[in-house]
Formats: sequence, C-alpha cells, structure tokens
Amino acid sequence: MAQIFPKWTNQVPRKILIGLIVLLNVLIFGVWYFFSPEYTDVGYAPEQPVPYSHKLHVDQLGLDCQYCHTNVFDSKFANIPATQTCMNCHNQIQTDSEKLALVRESWETGKSIEWVRVHNLADYAYFNHSAHVNVGVGCESCHGRVDKMEVVYQAEPLSMSWCLDCHREPEKYIRPVDEVTTMGYQIENQLEIGKELVDKNNIHAPTYCQGCHY
Amino acid sequence: MKDSEITDQQMSEEVKQNTYWKSLSELANNKEYQKFAEREFPENATELTDGVSRRGFLRVMGASVALAGLAACRRPVQKILPYSRQPEDVVEGVPLYYATAMPVQGNLVGLVAENHEGRPTKLEGNDLHPASKGGTSIFNQAAVLGLYDPDRSKFPLQNGNKATLADFESFAASHFANTGQRIAFISEANSSPTYNNVKELALSKFNNATWVTYEPFGEDNVLEGNNIAFGSRLRSHYNFENADVIVSLNDDFMSSTHPNSVEYAKQVSSRRKVTDTNGEMNRVYAIEDSFSLTGSFADHRLRLKASQMEAFTYALAAALSTRINGLNAFSGYSNEFSDHQWITVLADELAANAGRAALSAGAQHKPEVHAAVAAINQALGNAGSTVNYLEVPHLGDQNNNTAFANVVSEMKSGNIDTVVMVGVNPVLTASTDFEDALSNVETVVNLSDYVDETSKKANWHVNRAHFLETWGDGYSYGGARSVIQPQIQPLHNGLSEIEFLNLIVSGEMTSGYEMVQETFRGYYSSGFMNRWKNILHDGIDTADNFESVSVSLSSGFASAMNRATSNVSSTSGIEVVIRPDATLYDGRYANLGWLQELPDPMTKITWDNVALMSPATAEKLGVGEFSSSTDKTDIVEITVNGESIEIAAWIQPGHADDAITLTTGYGRKGIGRVATSYIDYTAGGVDVYPLRGTNNMFYGSAEVSKVDGKYEIACVQDHHSLEGRDMYRQASISEYRENPDFASFESVHTYPVPGMAEMRENEDDDGPISLFDEQTYPDHEPQWGMAIDLNSCFGCGVCVIACQSENNIPVIGKKEVKRGREMHWIRNDRYYVGDDQDSPQAVHQPVPCMHCELAPCEQVCPVAATTHSEDGMNQMTYNRCIGTRYCANNCPYKVRRFNFFNYPKEYLTTGDDPDIIQMAMNPEVTVRFRGVMEKCTYCVQRVNRAKIEAKKETGSPKPADGTVKTACQQACPADAIYFGDLTDDNSQVAQMKRNERNFQMLEELNTRPRTSYMAKLTNPNPALA
Amino acid sequence: MSKYQYVPEPALVKGDHDFASLTRLVTDINLRPTPKGWYLAMIGANALLFTMVVAIGYLIWEGTGIWGLNNPVGWGWAIINFVWWVGIGHAGTLISAILFLFRQDWRTAINRFAEAMTIFAVMCAGVFPAIHVGRIWAIYWVFPIPNQMAMWPNFNSPLLWDVFAVSTYFTVSFLFWYVGLVPDLATIRDRATDKVRKVAYGIFSLGWTGSNRHWWNYEKAYMILAGLATPLVLSVHTIVSFDFAVSMIPGWHTTIFPPYFVAGAIFSGFAMVLTLMIVARKIYGMKEIMTDDHMEKMNIVILVTGSMVGFAYMMEFFIAWYSGVEYEQAIFILRATGPYAWAYWAMMTCNVLSPQFFWSKKLRRSVGFTFFISIVVNIGMWFERFVITVTSLANDYLPSSWDYYSPTIWDVLTYVGTFGLFFTMFLLFLRFLPMVALAEVKAVIPQADPHNYDEETNEYHAPEIEVPEPQSKKV
Repeated sequence: MAQIFPKWTNQVPRKILIGLIVLLNVLIFGVWYFFSPEYTDVGYAPEQPVPYSHKLHVDQLGLDCQYCHTNVFDSKFANIPATQTCMNCHNQIQTDSEKLALVRESWETGKSIEWVRVHNLADYAYFNHSAHVNVGVGCESCHGRVDKMEVVYQAEPLSMSWCLDCHREPEKYIRPVDEVTTMGYQIENQLEIGKELVDKNNIHAPTYCQGCHY
Repeated sequence: MKDSEITDQQMSEEVKQNTYWKSLSELANNKEYQKFAEREFPENATELTDGVSRRGFLRVMGASVALAGLAACRRPVQKILPYSRQPEDVVEGVPLYYATAMPVQGNLVGLVAENHEGRPTKLEGNDLHPASKGGTSIFNQAAVLGLYDPDRSKFPLQNGNKATLADFESFAASHFANTGQRIAFISEANSSPTYNNVKELALSKFNNATWVTYEPFGEDNVLEGNNIAFGSRLRSHYNFENADVIVSLNDDFMSSTHPNSVEYAKQVSSRRKVTDTNGEMNRVYAIEDSFSLTGSFADHRLRLKASQMEAFTYALAAALSTRINGLNAFSGYSNEFSDHQWITVLADELAANAGRAALSAGAQHKPEVHAAVAAINQALGNAGSTVNYLEVPHLGDQNNNTAFANVVSEMKSGNIDTVVMVGVNPVLTASTDFEDALSNVETVVNLSDYVDETSKKANWHVNRAHFLETWGDGYSYGGARSVIQPQIQPLHNGLSEIEFLNLIVSGEMTSGYEMVQETFRGYYSSGFMNRWKNILHDGIDTADNFESVSVSLSSGFASAMNRATSNVSSTSGIEVVIRPDATLYDGRYANLGWLQELPDPMTKITWDNVALMSPATAEKLGVGEFSSSTDKTDIVEITVNGESIEIAAWIQPGHADDAITLTTGYGRKGIGRVATSYIDYTAGGVDVYPLRGTNNMFYGSAEVSKVDGKYEIACVQDHHSLEGRDMYRQASISEYRENPDFASFESVHTYPVPGMAEMRENEDDDGPISLFDEQTYPDHEPQWGMAIDLNSCFGCGVCVIACQSENNIPVIGKKEVKRGREMHWIRNDRYYVGDDQDSPQAVHQPVPCMHCELAPCEQVCPVAATTHSEDGMNQMTYNRCIGTRYCANNCPYKVRRFNFFNYPKEYLTTGDDPDIIQMAMNPEVTVRFRGVMEKCTYCVQRVNRAKIEAKKETGSPKPADGTVKTACQQACPADAIYFGDLTDDNSQVAQMKRNERNFQMLEELNTRPRTSYMAKLTNPNPALA
Repeated sequence: MSKYQYVPEPALVKGDHDFASLTRLVTDINLRPTPKGWYLAMIGANALLFTMVVAIGYLIWEGTGIWGLNNPVGWGWAIINFVWWVGIGHAGTLISAILFLFRQDWRTAINRFAEAMTIFAVMCAGVFPAIHVGRIWAIYWVFPIPNQMAMWPNFNSPLLWDVFAVSTYFTVSFLFWYVGLVPDLATIRDRATDKVRKVAYGIFSLGWTGSNRHWWNYEKAYMILAGLATPLVLSVHTIVSFDFAVSMIPGWHTTIFPPYFVAGAIFSGFAMVLTLMIVARKIYGMKEIMTDDHMEKMNIVILVTGSMVGFAYMMEFFIAWYSGVEYEQAIFILRATGPYAWAYWAMMTCNVLSPQFFWSKKLRRSVGFTFFISIVVNIGMWFERFVITVTSLANDYLPSSWDYYSPTIWDVLTYVGTFGLFFTMFLLFLRFLPMVALAEVKAVIPQADPHNYDEETNEYHAPEIEVPEPQSKKV
C-alpha cells in the first residue's frame, strides 16, 4: 500500500504537543509581564501646559514639597497648588517669562490651569496621602526622585502587588515622619530603624481588601 | 402655553416604553436641555477634583478598560484643575459641614450639609436644632436629589415660552406698578420672618390684595379647633416626652408626612428605651382608619372609619366628663360609641394619667373634633406639660380653608385681576373648579420648582431656587428660629420665594442674603456680626420664639359643642379617604426617584399608589389578592360626586371596613421623567385629587366597583407572615419582667442552639463549632458591630434613603423592582402578626448586611471577591467580583444586591449631560458597574476616614465611641440603630449587645452576625388584653 | 446426557455478518456521498445554533438582567441547563469505561455513539457557567494565573472545583473517545478512494497500521484511560452537586446530593443515548448491531437508576422531617404544595412513575414506547434541576424576601440554542466518523472467536457443555 505521508510526519504530533505547552507558558508570562502597570505605566511623562520644573524648584531653589502640596498631611489629596501659590513669587520674578504666560492668564481670568494627571490610581482604589505621610512613608517612596525630574513622570508601577510589598513589610521602607519630604533619604540600617518606627508609630498597614477598595 | 403642552405630550410619548433612567437619557438628548447643560455651573463652582470627584469617580472598574479603548492610548488622560485663588478653609478632599435648615410645609428642620468642594452631597440632622435633634425624615434626606433633579424648571416661562429673568423683572416692574389692581396672593405655608415682612409690605402696597396660605394638607382645622376651644388660633405642640399615655385619634404624627414628625418620633421613642427590667415605657393607643406608622407602633390599635372619629371623640369626652371636671359641655351626651369597650378603657386610662397623657387628632378632622380634643387635654391638665398651645404669629387669623374657597369663587366671578402663586400647585391639589376659576384671571404669576400643572396655566412661571441654593430663614414647628444657609450657587439662577415676592412688591432685585441679614439685624441691634456667625455655625438662633399661652375654655365653647354633638354625621356606605402619600407627600416630591422607589412603609409598594381596603371590603367588592407570581392586582373604579378614577385595589389588613384610603402625589403628567405616569402601566400610579371637593377635602362617601383588567404592581415584599419563624421576637413588658431573656434562642425554642452546649463546656460560647477557620481579629483593630432596637424602630424608612444617598445606590425604575431587583442595601421588612386578619399587629424590622463572622457568602465566592476584614467586616470588593451571584444565593438574610444591568450608567452618565445627577454622588464611594454584587458596608468609607483621623490624632486606629456613625444610624429619628467598636466595653453598641433583649437572627446557622437585634416590647393595657 | 441445557447469550450482532460486511455496514456511511436528509437536518441544527449565538451575544451586550433572575433567585435556567447537560454527559463514559472494565461486551455496539453524545453534551453544559457570570471579561480570574494583583482564586468555593472537575472530565472523555477512534479511522482511511479523505483520515489515524505492536499499545492505553475515566464518572456530578450541597440554603444543604445526582445523571444519560440510538439505527439501518437486546438492557439501567432517584426524593423528605430543622421541613412542603408544585409533580411523574413501566418485558422491548419514555425522562430530569435550583432559593429563610421566579424569552432561547450546538456536532459526527466502534464489534462476533469455529465450513459450533445433574438429597 502506498504511503500517504512522508517519514518526517512521524515526529509532527510530538512536536505539536510540545509546541503548545511552550506557547501556553509564553502567553501566560507575556500577559503577566507586558500587561502589568510596571511595564505599561512606569515612565509616563505627559507634557504639561506649563513647563514647571521640579528639578529647578526643588533641587536648585530647595523648595519643600509642602510649600505647594500643602494638604498632604491633612487630606487624601496632595493638592496641586492654586495659581496664587505660583504668583507668590512670580509676581516678582520672571514676570514676563513666556513659559509663565498661562499662569498669569489664569491669575487674571480666574480660570484654572489644566494640569495633566500623572499618578492616577483606578477609581475603585482609595488612596489617602495623609494616612501615609503621617506615619513616615516618604514622598520619594512612591513618586521617585522628583527633585531630579525636569518633567514629572511616574516612577513606580502603583500596581496592587507593588502596594502590598510595602503593606506587608513596612519596615523596609518606612522613615521618620520629619524625613518624609526628604529626597534621596538613605540609611544603611534601614531594617532595624524601620522596625523601631513601625512599633513607635503603631503601624499595621491593612492587607485586607477594604483597606483600599470600597 | 400651547407649546409647553405639546412638548409635554411628545415627552411622555417618547418615554412611554422606557424605564425611568432610560427616559432620563432621552431627557439629556433633548436639545433644549443640552443648552442649559452648557451654562450649568458658574465658573467658581469648579474645583480641584473636577477631574476626579465629578467625572473620575464615576468611571468604574472595568469601565476604565473601555475608556482606554476609546482613548486609543495607554490610559485615559485626566486633567487636574486647581483653584486660581484658594478659597479659605477649603482643604481639597476633606468635606466641610455647614448648618442649614429645610422648610417642611413651612416649618424649618435644622440640618447639616456635607459639602465636597462646594458641592452638597448629604444632609444630616442638626443635633442642636429641636425639630431635628440629629434625626431626619425621608424628605430631608431626599432633598439633595431634589437639588440635582435634572427635571427642575431652569428658566422663567412667559405663556409657556422660554423667557429670561430680566424679562420677568421688567414685567414685574411694569405690571405691579399698578397698586390698585385686585391681586390674590396664594402662598404655601411659610414661617420665614423675612418672607412675612415682605408679605406685610405687599398687603400694604396693594390695597385690593387678598392673601391666602394654601396647603393641601394644612393644619387649619387644628387651629380653628383650638380657636373654638380657647378663642384663638393656637398651634398644639405636643411634648410626648412627658406623656405616659398617648392617644392618637387618626393622627399619624410619627410618619414623615407630619410637619413635625422628627421631633415627635424622637420624643415618643425616647420613652421606650428600656435597658433593664426596671425600665418604664409609655403606652400608645391609636384609633385610625388605615394602617399608619403610628398605628403600627401603638400598643393598642382600633380601626374606625374616618367619619366615625368625630362621634368617637365626643363619646370619649362624654365618658371623661363623668370622671374629671371641665368637660361639662359633654355631660349627659351619648352616642353609638358610648358603651364601646375602648371608650371606658381610654377614659379610665386618661383620667388615671391626668397631666401625663396626650391626646391628639389628625388635621383631616373638622375643627370641632380638635376643639373637643383641646378641651380634654385642658381638662386633664395636659396643657403645659404634654401639650403646649403656641401663639404662632405668622399663621394669621383667617381660616385658610374657607379663605381659599372664597378666593376661588372671587376668581370665578372675575373679581381678581392678578393671581400670584408662590410654591403652590392648586391646579393639581385643589378641587377641579380652581382650574376653571383660574381661566377667568387675566394675569397669573407663579413660582415653582417644576413646570407643574399650575405653571402651565400661568402667564408667568418663574423657576424657584432650591433651599440649598439660596438664603432664607424661618421657625421650626415649635418656634426655633434658624437661618437657611445656601450650599451652592443657584444651578439654574432661580429665585427664592423671598426674592420673588420682594421683586413683585418693590419691583427690583434684592439678594436674599441682604434681606435675611436685614431681618436679623432687627433682632440684634448690637454685636450683630458675632451673633450672625453663631447662628450660621449652630444652625439655630433662639429656641422658643412662639409664646406658649396658658389656655382656658372660651365662652362659646359649650354652645359650639352642643351644635356639633347634636348633628354628628358619619358617612353611610363606603367612604373614601384622601391622605398625603407616605413617600411623595402631596406630590411635591413626586419627581425624586429615591422616594418613588422607597417602598411604602405599610404596603411595601413602590412607584404606585393603590386603593387600600380591608379584607372584608375587598370580599364585598369582589376584589382578589395580589398575585405575587404575575405581580398583578385588581382594579376598582371610584366615583365621588361625578368625578371618577380607576385605580389598583390593594388589600390592607387592619384597614377599617367600608372605607378606602387613597394617597396623593402620583399620576402626575409631564412634570418630570420620574413623576410622569404612563398609560401602559409601567409606572406612576393615579392622580386622586380629582375626587377632592372643596367641602370634602379629606374624606367623603363614594361609589366603588371592581372593573375588568389588572394592574401590575411593583411590591418588594410578597409574603407578609412570619410563618411562625423566630426572626422577629417580642414580648409585653410584664412578660419581659418575668422572663428577662425571653428573646434568647433557648427560651424561644425551649432548647439551646444545637452544638452550643458542647462548646460552652470548653469555654467558647461564640457559637457552635465551625468547619471553616474562624477569623482572626488582631488587637490593634477595632471590631465593628451593630445593634438594632426593634422597640424604637417604627418603620419610617429614612434609613433606606440615607443609605441610598450616602452609598450612591442607583434608582432602577418600576420594571426592575417588579422583577425583584431592588438595590437598597438596607430594607425594612414588615410582617403582620396575629391570627386576626382584620386587625393584626404590624411589625417593622430593618435588615442590613449582618456582617457575619462566619459569612456563608465568603466561602463560596470563586474569586475571593468577598472576604473578611481585620476589623470584623464582611467586605465586598466590587473590582474583584465577576458576578456568579453564588454569594447572594448563599446569604440566608438575602441582603446582597446584584447589578443586573448597568444601572449607574442609565442613572448617571447617559446622554451629554451627566454632571447634574452626578453631583449628588458621594465621591468617597465607588459607583458599581454592571455585573457586580454589592451590599451594606457598614459605611466603610466613614469608618476608614474615622480610623485614619483617629490614627493621626491618637496614634491608634480605634475612633472614640460615637465618632463614626453609619448613614442609617445617623438619620434615624428614633435612634434605633447603634453602631460602634465591640472591643470597647463602654461603647453604646457593646452595652446594647450585653442587654438581655439582644438576639441574633438565625442564630442556629452559626453565621455569628455582627448585626443583632433587640427584641420589641409592648406595653398593653390589661383592660384590653 | 443431562436434561439441563446450556442456553448461550443471544448473539450481540444479529443477522449473518462477517468482518467485511460489518466494515461495509459501518464505514460506507462515511464514504458514500452525503444524503439530502443530512443537509436538511444540518440546516435546522445550524438555525438553532445561530439562535444561541445571538442570545449569548445579546446577553454579553446587555447584562444578565435580560434573564428572569431576581434577588432571592440568583441562579435560574443557566445553572439548571448546566447541571442537566452535564448529567446527560454521563452515560457515555459510564458505558465505555465502567462497562468496559466489567467486560460487558454489549457496550461495543453503542459506546462510540454514547461517548460522542457525552462530549457534545459536556460542551453544551460548559457554555453556561461561562456566560452566566456578570462580568464575562473577567472570568479568567477563576484560573490560578500569576498576576500583578497578587490575587489567587478562592479554593474553598465549589464553583472553582467545578471548573476543574468539568474541564478534566471533558479532556479525559475526549481522549478516551479519540483513542478508541484511531483503528476505525484507519479503516476508513484504507477504504477511502479519494485523496482528501485519505489525507484527512490519515492525519487523525496517526499512522495506524494495525500491527501487533500497535494493538498492544492501543489496548494498554485504552485500559488506562478507562481506569482514569471511571472515577471521573462519579466525581464530576458529585462535585456539581457540591455547588448546592456545600451551601446553606434549605433543600440544598444535604449530604444525599452526590449519589442522588450521579444516579440522576446516569438515568438521564441513558435516556438520551436511547433517544438518539433509536433514531440513528433506524435511519442508518443499524438494527442488527444496535439490537433490541441492547435497548432492553439500557431500559433496565433506566429502571434501576430511576428507582434510585425516586428513593432519593423520598429520602429527602424523610431527612427533612427527621432533622427537625423547620426551614428544611418548610421547603420540602413548599416544593410539593407551594408556588412551584406544578414543577415538583411534573418531576415526580416523569422521573419516578414513568420508568416503572419497564418492569414489563414487553414495554422494555417496544421501540416506540422506549423512545417516548426516554424523552419523558429527560424532561423530568430538567424539572428536577429546576425544582432544586429555583424553589430552594425562592423560599428560603426570611419570608420577607420570598419572591417568584419566571424566565424570560432569552432564558428559553439560550436553552433551545444549545440543542443547536449539540445536534450540529452530532450530525458532523454521524457524517464523518464511524458511529459504531467497528474494531470492538468485530471482536464480539463469533468469527472473532478462534474456538468453536470451523475455518473450512465457515460454521459455528456452540460449545457442548455437560451440565451435571444436581445431587439429590438421599444417596
């Protein structure tokens, strides 16, 4: 009887089988990695209507975060400052800078400056700045070295597992409350200091759903 | 005028087939409407979280995926709009609380508004205000929705065509320059001193002016009654706190329809907070025709036709005249009730409790009845202790019922040139001849919230500003003076009644703010600004501004009573009673979805009014039971002198025989998407006002007959018997004293909870052994728990509305409710107890999520979307839920609610004008998407905020007792709900749970609910037992 | 010579068949041109299939609200149909695996057929759990996949067990079925004259040559799979029953569910096989392979399982009364007398009463009657699922939340639609695959028996067995 198939086809079923297994694993890994905020969101740096440079204001002029983000210790929002705040200085200096045109316009008309939001949690994830900074979670820990940013970008994935890393082991990240706004805070015995702080501030970061979702 | 009617028709044509929120979207697509959307908000209403709080929080889990798709980029771009100039003491993200007050039928109830960056989202009671004492009524709670109601009138109309405010101003200036014209002012009741000042101006300016205060269910009968008794129109203001015995003659003073319900509910329930066997309780008797909340709360209830109430009252007075002095007018009098058991019992009881009893009668009864009641109270020496007779200046001397009738006839005969109507809607609520009368009037001006039946007949309609939008002032029912403080700029540039009237009188615009301040400057010549600040801060100025006069019977009283008693008439045959609806009142709240969907406290019907009748009457008429499988019920035709309506019939156990009760406010045509009723029976009910005549405003005889056809009713409770089950437990106070833990499982069933004994042996009495791992509760966390006192709850349903307002619960429309998909997180179960079909006892039981420690729902969710928190709450994580509905199935309390459709989308974001309804949303609570489960969260957003604040201040996440209240608890006028930390032994809730009356629902299932109940106590009179 | 005679079992294949004729009888169906009737049937089936697709599309677009579900009754027709289809999907594996292990040769005539039915039924069943959830796009969360939320499924949940149980059952059944097919596919390949068939069947017969070694491997694999499938037959419906038994709703929370569900499943499965077999054997002239003896044997199984189910119904009542739990008692009384009494009595008549007719041999062997009962039984079993799922939910603990459930047109269309899926698959099966396990049938005809068969004369001599006389008492 004549052969219908060439010899090599004998291997085909085995190959297909193995191929499928490999493919499946690749697929799962791919989704797990490439669809994650860590890959999609980190580095998001939209252009802002006013080219405000944190590098300049924080690093060189040495403004404290709280000079503008005044409510961070009291509110769930670390508020974007009112135009007023800019004008405190900019009615004196750089009064005719091109870059500040929009600020001056806003000041005259009373219209808001439309900043583009960079750090954007899903609406079903409740985040409260004051709850964090008051127990010594540094601005830097979530927002990165803002003092080195010409244009603000998202430095951390802000994904759920990322949050949990800290909620499960706060001592690895916690710092004294008065160091919260410090940029580039570093100590070599973080773990033991951290443990002390966790006890001192009675920190029990919730890891149950309703800590954040409601 | 024509155009507006046409558009209305088109409107109801369009939306006929649709559910309520679908039609809302059509509203949004309506061109006219979009125009206003554009100029909805004054610039300064924008706020930092513009991007977040108003749009952001509405994007729900899953929806963000869709949006990403739309934006065709990694993520939707969001804008942040900071202030240009920072307003003082605004901290973005931290709500501010301002005191204000709500006029309810002219009487102010003090409120506190939660204000998010200039956007009021929630109203709470004001602890400092006597008419609230922290409690609220359903109407207070729903006022927020009223503010953001997209169907509110948005601009003045001249003969039905759009006009501007300027047009009206110029018209007013010219038209009212003629001071000689014959003007009739028809105004709603209004206690505002400013308003009444302007009223005086008006009456002095227009020398041919007449002023009528018109309320469809006003209190004039009471005032007139007191006038007969004491010779002046006094308001009876009860102080039930001092009353050991309360007798209500068809007076439903606890239900929200009563102008002073909150204060009264607090007073009555405060006398039933029994914490141990030595506790004493007041005793409440109710004599009424249809089952009312007060009736269901009473220890004894007698059903009587409304028309028999008069005879009953006189008989009671006569019986008392033999026991106490001061009722000679009735001595010797007798009628068919004289040897009624109740008369003797009541007479004895009242006489025995002279000075500590309170007798009240419903305002629907004629003045003579109230005169008799007043006389009895006076003779018993209740006056001054349980009831104060108040001199209320702004009520005036004229009997408005008659005055109104006169004006109407004047109008008919063309003796009126101009009618100015402020906040009233007589075309709907008054007898039908008002409409014809109106047509004989040259100029009709009206101020109203909606383009309602009257506005359509008016030459000039002016859109009214909501009380949360403008300044105002006034007095509470008991005479406490407050200022109404606006929370937001007028959304549609409406006028307050003060500004409106002043514009008419003076011809120029003056801001309400100035006028109100002017008034108060009058009270405080010196140190005004400080005083003013305090008033605004506390929400109340001075408490008792109405003089409580010491009364004595007038000379004419005896003769008046003789006249009355000699011709007592009670309707023969079937009589029809017209009552304000328990959820819509007279129709002014008809467009508020929350109230339409709030089940009637007794019938549990939503979206409809029905003809209530007793089982016997139903049998006589051949009316059958409501079929829960087809949701259909019979229809009856009711005819009262010529006018007739067809309306769904409903069998109400405990209703008086040969009587039918109808409620008002339904069957509105074209005033709004919610209120409008459709012929195809999809929603709306029937307008019963046509049956109302000037002479029989409240009840009268009628012909009733069953007609063919069926009507579909959306009733949220199909089964009304407890089936002998033990989820509701009660005992008389004497039984309680004999057996204090009558409420325990063991004494109900005569055996302990299965498996309990064994556990007790090894010192673990949390409950029987469980197959599942028990939760671990770390010490640093508070442990939340709730206790609901069934002895205080009287079923008003304000908890439901408060919860809906706090937790962004959508309204789903009649169709969906009919399918049994109501979304309320807390429901009010009502059971009829007792074998007697004709006069059963009705009990109310609020049921939120039980937050079981061993929650059945948690075990079965395949994706762990519902789990347990360390502070002891059963958490529902919407964004993890995939919607298998297994948890809901496995919940023995059936408190879980499923989003079968994308209700919030229909509700909030359809069309191009989402903003207005969205503004009513609470930014702290996720709006749930289609396909996810939801349920009571113990207001976790409040709990967490309190925990964070406590942590910041004290370093411990355990808030002090009382700092965190759930929405239902805070709203409850009877303080029936206790919530707090169980690890704190002194917390109120912990104490309540230690009380022997405390029991768990379905304890034997070993779900270990954190929400428990305190058994009801009754205080029956042995003589009637 | 004793007066006792050995009565041999009736021949499994009727008529005068040898290997060749059997081969022709079975495989010609696949080789001869497609009959018109098949096309007509296919059009009908596809129409139904289309309805299902539309119904599901609309469901996903609008939300589960288009179904009649409400607050107390969170599960309606979707779950009912799921359980019903899974139940039907039991016969196949039972017949092919368990009866195989018990050396029941009569199974050979119908096992291929039954297995196919099983696989397609499980497909239909599988549709429902997937579509009945509120947010289909998130359904993959039930699989333990690593993710950025650091979330795993809840392994306590019976629904999760379902996912694994059903998918395993499907996989194994499918492999079992396919392995059995290989030799027959090869047969068709070899008989095929045109290139397309040669290649197509060639691919799927995996180069089968019928060599001794092939047969050796084949028998082993088949045996192992049979071993694997046997426990699954019991486990699947046991776990499906856990969806109910593990919860705490009166009428669900009972330990009798697993055995009673399995019995019910076999009951309905056999009924479905019969329904299909009776039609198929008529159309394709298979009477001589799928004989009335087979039909009778299956009817006996139906009689037995039906009675077991009936017993279970009684038992439920007894336990409810015996437990003394008022809610249990209430729900069973409500089932019989409450708003759903009609469904309950429909169930009783169809499931308990109707199979009892099979005590009579005459009815057992009556084709028409069997066909009728087989359909009645499946209706009855659907009602059983309805009664269990709906009544318990509609009237549970708090009378206040009792509500009546009634389906919408979309519930019905989705259900009817699944028949479209089922018949489409089945028609394709009949057309392109051998509906009888040819190799196995050949093995049970006398010719396959090396003994008692005379090669020259082509005659079969029944073995002559001496049956000794029984010992009389007194010797």
